[in-house]
Amino acid sequence: MITFTDIAKTFPGADDPAVQNFNATVEQGEFFVLIGPSGCGKTTTLKMINRLIEPSTGTIRIQDKDIREWDRHELRWNVGYVLQQIALFPTMTIAENIAVVPEMRRWKKNEIKERVDELLQMVGLDPDTYRNRKPSELSGGQQQRIGVIRALAADPDIILMDEPFSALDPLSREQLQEDIRALQQNIQKTIVFVTHDMDEALALGDRICLMKDGDIVQIGTPRELKNEPANDFVRDFIGDRRDEWDTPVRSVMSGRDSQYIASVHDMPEMPLYPAPLYIFDQNDTFLGRRDGDSIASQKTVISPDHVLYDALKTFNDTDAEALPVLEEGRLVGALSYKDVMQFLQKAKLASAGGDTET
Amino acid sequence: MNLLENTYQLFTDEQGQFWTLVWEHVNMSLISLLCASFIAVPVGVLLTRRRSIAEPIIGIAAVLQTIPSLALLGFMILILNQIGTVPAVVALTAYALLPILRNTYTGIAGVDPALVEAATGMGMNSFRRLRKIELPMAMPVIMAGIRTSMVLIVGTATLAALISAGGLGDFIMTGIDRADNAYILLGAIPAALLALFFDLVLRITERTSQGKALAPVAVVLGVALLVVITPALASTQQEELVIGGKEGAEPEILANMYSLLIEENTDLETSVEAGLGSTSIAFNALESDDIDIYPEFTGTVTANLYDQGVPSGSTREEVYEEARGLLAEDGLAYLEPMEYNNTYALALREEEADNLGIETISDLEPHTDELVPGFTFEFADRQTDGYPAIVDTYGFEFDEVETLDAGLRSNALQEGQIDLIDAYSTDAYIIEYGLTVLEDDENVFPPYQGAPLLKQETLDDNPGLEEALNRLGGQITNEEMQEMNYEVDYEGADHREVARDYLEENNLLGSN
Repeated sequence: MITFTDIAKTFPGADDPAVQNFNATVEQGEFFVLIGPSGCGKTTTLKMINRLIEPSTGTIRIQDKDIREWDRHELRWNVGYVLQQIALFPTMTIAENIAVVPEMRRWKKNEIKERVDELLQMVGLDPDTYRNRKPSELSGGQQQRIGVIRALAADPDIILMDEPFSALDPLSREQLQEDIRALQQNIQKTIVFVTHDMDEALALGDRICLMKDGDIVQIGTPRELKNEPANDFVRDFIGDRRDEWDTPVRSVMSGRDSQYIASVHDMPEMPLYPAPLYIFDQNDTFLGRRDGDSIASQKTVISPDHVLYDALKTFNDTDAEALPVLEEGRLVGALSYKDVMQFLQKAKLASAGGDTET
Repeated sequence: MNLLENTYQLFTDEQGQFWTLVWEHVNMSLISLLCASFIAVPVGVLLTRRRSIAEPIIGIAAVLQTIPSLALLGFMILILNQIGTVPAVVALTAYALLPILRNTYTGIAGVDPALVEAATGMGMNSFRRLRKIELPMAMPVIMAGIRTSMVLIVGTATLAALISAGGLGDFIMTGIDRADNAYILLGAIPAALLALFFDLVLRITERTSQGKALAPVAVVLGVALLVVITPALASTQQEELVIGGKEGAEPEILANMYSLLIEENTDLETSVEAGLGSTSIAFNALESDDIDIYPEFTGTVTANLYDQGVPSGSTREEVYEEARGLLAEDGLAYLEPMEYNNTYALALREEEADNLGIETISDLEPHTDELVPGFTFEFADRQTDGYPAIVDTYGFEFDEVETLDAGLRSNALQEGQIDLIDAYSTDAYIIEYGLTVLEDDENVFPPYQGAPLLKQETLDDNPGLEEALNRLGGQITNEEMQEMNYEVDYEGADHREVARDYLEENNLLGSN
């Protein structure tokens, strides 16, 4: 969707480039977060997409077309823009603010009006109440909601958001983060989102691009950044975020004494319930799942090194209430919903009981 | 307080002229404000797009503002080579540029950069951004600038009377000239009310059109255009001789005499354009054909216009011939002079003259430390026949010399702040204030005889003109002139009526 090739930007009078060697591709419908400490070049990178800043070298393509081939204004009509300062136009009403881009695109009056109402409803603001108000009559959270739908108004393919929630109080911020996540699931826009708040990045981003001093340090999914940080900077920047869901299955599962496990030798004596029952032979080799009097093959297994988060995804693919844990073909234990539940309960109590425990 | 009653009385008496002057004032002010806005707002906007040149350009406007308004008016006459409304409007416009320019620039430059970035980032081009965001945001500041300029213009326009542009300044100048506070108030109060009224109108238009960039401008524009166009349609004249005259009763009486004589004895139409602020303004007006004729003094021609002193003791005839010769070289005709000699004189308060036993200028010498003269700027500066000449010839100097406007001196004289003034022999207030004219025993002051000054071509193009004007040759004595001045200045008589009465009494009007 958006491809950066060898982008670099050095501002006039500056010694060091603000951005350099920037190569990345933002996929269609992706929520792509640019994050890093102040001065890392994240906002500069964002503003190069709608040509508020022109790169010194390199090219940016949108759907394989160099953005310099677009008329600058038309390009901007197709790229929504949400600012940190919200920047609703104070002399215009809410409806006029939302209608700015549709008007420039010469939509018909009634089309614009319908669109305005639709968008206001989408973010939970009653059109009849808010349409003719001035921005100053709205709370900060409401204003930025208008800021977001103003960017959406002409149905652009791409939306740029420059720290859109950082000026808001924590409550509004959380609410808007939830809204934007829901919105993204509905509208499936490509969103490039700048923030300095790692929680926000982890919560919202499909992928996160961590920058430092104009360079990309790491691009990856939130889990990749958390679990496979490229270097100490990434680790430090993310901080200690290894939550319960990152615990390896090994520490959560029940061992060989699990009620879901039996040796092939013991199988005939085992009660019919609980099910499933996973069977191993005298060499501990995993044989499969009891199926009446015989053994059925079991494809869905998990590794003790999987983290809980991934293990649960595997659970979602089956109806089983427990899954076998295999290490090099040998059955080492079983993980059941009950195990997970008990583990989480313990973790919760531990963290509530005091930090010294963990 | 009798003054307000007098002013009201004057208002009822002068209704006709009052409304004409108000109209002129409004007209002149609105054109100037309009011109200033049309120049300063676009330039201000342009400067926000080229910030590097903003400070120098605003600096130029600031320099215009620092020029004293009267100087700017005088300057415009020289540049444009004409008097009246045009140079007044140009000067007022120049004067009003700075507040509008600066406020436009500051207003637009002060728009939150985030809003500008939002507008740009959403794909507005520069003009749309200006129209939709920046102008509406900056409008209160721009309007404040326009309002400041408007007050400036309405106030300064009172000075335009000095270059014959009319307006309420006419009353004020008359008041200063006659030391009549009622006239001053009749000009000053309506001028202040006009400023308040316009301010109110602008504020209301601004408030009712909030957020819409062009609406207030459009309203002001519409009204102002209306005001500007109406007189333009009305004034389709100019096929007539314009007779000028300097500030004061005497020149205006004379101008009216010329007018009456010309209209009675030729087929020509005339109009009178009196109240020109100074000799150079009047002379420039003649040169640039804004006026066709005006009465000028022989001594003024030689000393002021040509900077040539005449030898002490020159006779009237010698001075007149000298002046005529100088003027003829420049294609100007100088017709027969009148009888009276309105020369400079030094006049002392009668009681002091009696107490100190002063009769001649020479008698002043022992008292230079105790007597304070109050001279006009012109007299204090005239090398050949002013105060410097007195210093040269009589060989003494006053310890302290006040310089102030002629019309303002009478009060200072009455209250004893000054004792001695330069006067004209025909001035009415010599009678009114009981002054003693000191004898010029060393003949420093050259003769000052009034005579019609006009271009030779005007004379050639209008047969009968010369004969009509020469009817005044050798007429009007010092006493007669003093009397006529007194009637106008202190008895409120109309200039034209006084002129007509004199001409009729002396059988100068009818074709005999």
